[in-house]
Amino acid sequence: MTVVYNLKNVVKQRVSDDGIGFRLVVPDIQISAQENIALVGHSGCGKSTLLDMLALILAPDESEQFDLHPVGGKDDNIGQLWKRSRQSHLSQIRKRHIGYVLQSGGLLPYLTVRENIELPRKLLKLPDDDSINSLSRVLGIHRQLDKLPGLLSAGERQRAAFARALSHRPSILLADEPTAALDPITAQKIMAVVMEVIRGLKITLITASHDWAHVYKMELRTLRQESEPVADGRIYESRFSDG
Amino acid sequence: MTQLPSIIRLSFRDYSHEWRMSGCFILALASVLAPMLILFGLKFGVVSSMVHELVENPVNREIRPVGSGRYDDAWIDAYRARGDVEFVIPKTRALAATIQLKSETSARILSTEMQATDSGDPLLARMPRVPRGYGELILSQAAASKLNVAAGDRIDASLARQFQGKRERVHLPLDVIAIADATVTTRAVAFVSLDLLIASENFKDGRAVPELEWTGNNEDGGERVYPSFRLYARSIYDVEGLVNALEAEGVRAKANVAEITTVQSIDRNLSVIFWIIACVGAVGFSFSLGASLWANVDRKRKELSVLRLVGFKSGRIVLFPVLQACYTALLGWLLAVLVYLAFEHVINFVLAPSLKLERELCYLLTEHFMWALGLTVTIAIYAAILGGLRAARIQPSDGLREI
Ligand SMILES: Nc1ncnc2c1ncn2[C@@H]1O[C@H](COP(=O)(O)OP(=O)(O)OP(=O)(O)O)[C@@H](O)[C@H]1O
Ligand SMILES: [Mg+2]
Repeated sequence: MTVVYNLKNVVKQRVSDDGIGFRLVVPDIQISAQENIALVGHSGCGKSTLLDMLALILAPDESEQFDLHPVGGKDDNIGQLWKRSRQSHLSQIRKRHIGYVLQSGGLLPYLTVRENIELPRKLLKLPDDDSINSLSRVLGIHRQLDKLPGLLSAGERQRAAFARALSHRPSILLADEPTAALDPITAQKIMAVVMEVIRGLKITLITASHDWAHVYKMELRTLRQESEPVADGRIYESRFSDG
Repeated sequence: MTQLPSIIRLSFRDYSHEWRMSGCFILALASVLAPMLILFGLKFGVVSSMVHELVENPVNREIRPVGSGRYDDAWIDAYRARGDVEFVIPKTRALAATIQLKSETSARILSTEMQATDSGDPLLARMPRVPRGYGELILSQAAASKLNVAAGDRIDASLARQFQGKRERVHLPLDVIAIADATVTTRAVAFVSLDLLIASENFKDGRAVPELEWTGNNEDGGERVYPSFRLYARSIYDVEGLVNALEAEGVRAKANVAEITTVQSIDRNLSVIFWIIACVGAVGFSFSLGASLWANVDRKRKELSVLRLVGFKSGRIVLFPVLQACYTALLGWLLAVLVYLAFEHVINFVLAPSLKLERELCYLLTEHFMWALGLTVTIAIYAAILGGLRAARIQPSDGLREI
């Protein structure tokens, strides 16, 4: 299986002026195509930070290696692209290969659910086929397509966010605690449907979650996370690694 | 390029989705711009009507000889030929120019001064035509109201003289062809042809006037000389030169030179004051518009970050607030213009007549509106670009974390 993400010694630091802060270190991670990964860890351990870097919307401070090879795409040295500030190239990759579900949904309030879902397809000039209808039906939001997101329930909003992240058939789906705001039963239902879609579409899923219950049920590979205070306890360092 | 239509569509959707907020921005813009337009309209209207008044009102261009002199036709013609003279016509002796008028609609007989006129007389510029021959006259407003006549009426005019020891009176019918504007003179004056004025003088001097079959001495009075004249410079700037030219000939003359310079300096000072107010207003306007648009971009950071997340380029993202700023600028300007036009109407058609102003007190030219639009859009775009660049520069992940 091809390696989609290959990260070595990627560091992102969040340090305030007085030297107190947080550091995320990824010594070595490889993620293969169609692998399903769970980022598990306590709150504040850097799951969102890592996902943002994997989604190419946050620049790492250091990276020995940060390669992305999406299925059906070119090999890209992301570390170099950030260093050279190639923003439009990064947005190009993002647009084509990545779908990202935010913790808060992130739907545009002024577009209907359907327009929100269509947006990534429009940007890629994909044809208007039936895929949005069928995707919405699978996710159970086909009756909400013509509403504005503000009128949806939290669960429907999250499902719409999944639909938007999947509508352009990306090969990578990133989800940052997509079910955090939902009750456990709804959360499980949604994740079960999403997992089904993902398996059907052969998508690489990386999701952050601190809810262990999901992890067992959905057979995700969990990245090991450990944290310790460094620099006399002024910096809180968190490491994610394979295994 | 492909993202441009999408950005236009999205920015408009967001703008209309947030119509309350957009409405507030439009109102805020219009409420600063409209008073500025009104202020500028007043300045423009008042100053230009002052200048207009100064140029148009012949009183400001009249040059009056002091006392009486001796001016023959050749002298008058020489002045008439000058480029800086718009109009000159001789006057006869005051006594010889007095005529008695009687109308059917008024019991009183009005003793009136006659003034010669001719085509090109600036005092009668608004009249359809000037009196000709021996049967027509134009009455001043005062004369017309005392006689209770209107244009088109016929009145009886008579002249009296002491001739060979007898008192004689001749009558002739005169048609009132028009009534002069009230602004021309407040006195009772009859404007007649120079021929009629000369006929009157001949009659009073005891000479015959064959054209009107008035008898008298047939001896020729020699070369006719006039004691005075009525002269108007072509523009207010010619007045001083003409006065000097006359004085060089030994003719003492008076004109409203002091008044002209006063009005000119009032114009200058008023302009300065208005410009200061307008500049202060423009700066305040720029800041208020800039601040509100800047704040709007800040408010939109999360949504702009979402657009970047789904793959819009940073350069296109800047367009989003810029386009919205343009909508605000355009609609705010439109509203301000409408408010201004309503005020203009009130000022010109309600206020001005009650102040007895003839000209419009407040008005702007099309180009002024275009200037306002250009200024508004420029400021709006500038402020939005500054805000938009800031939104585009921050990493999308930071924008998404907000809330
Ligand atoms: N922009 C930022 N500036 C400074 N510190 C930040 C910033 N973003 C995140 N942090 C810090 O980095 C650490 C990791 O944050 P992150 O959001 O990645 O945690 P998380 O694992 O997603 O937590 P949660 O499970 O609560 O969502 C936190 O301590 C947070 O305070
Ligand atoms: Mg998080």
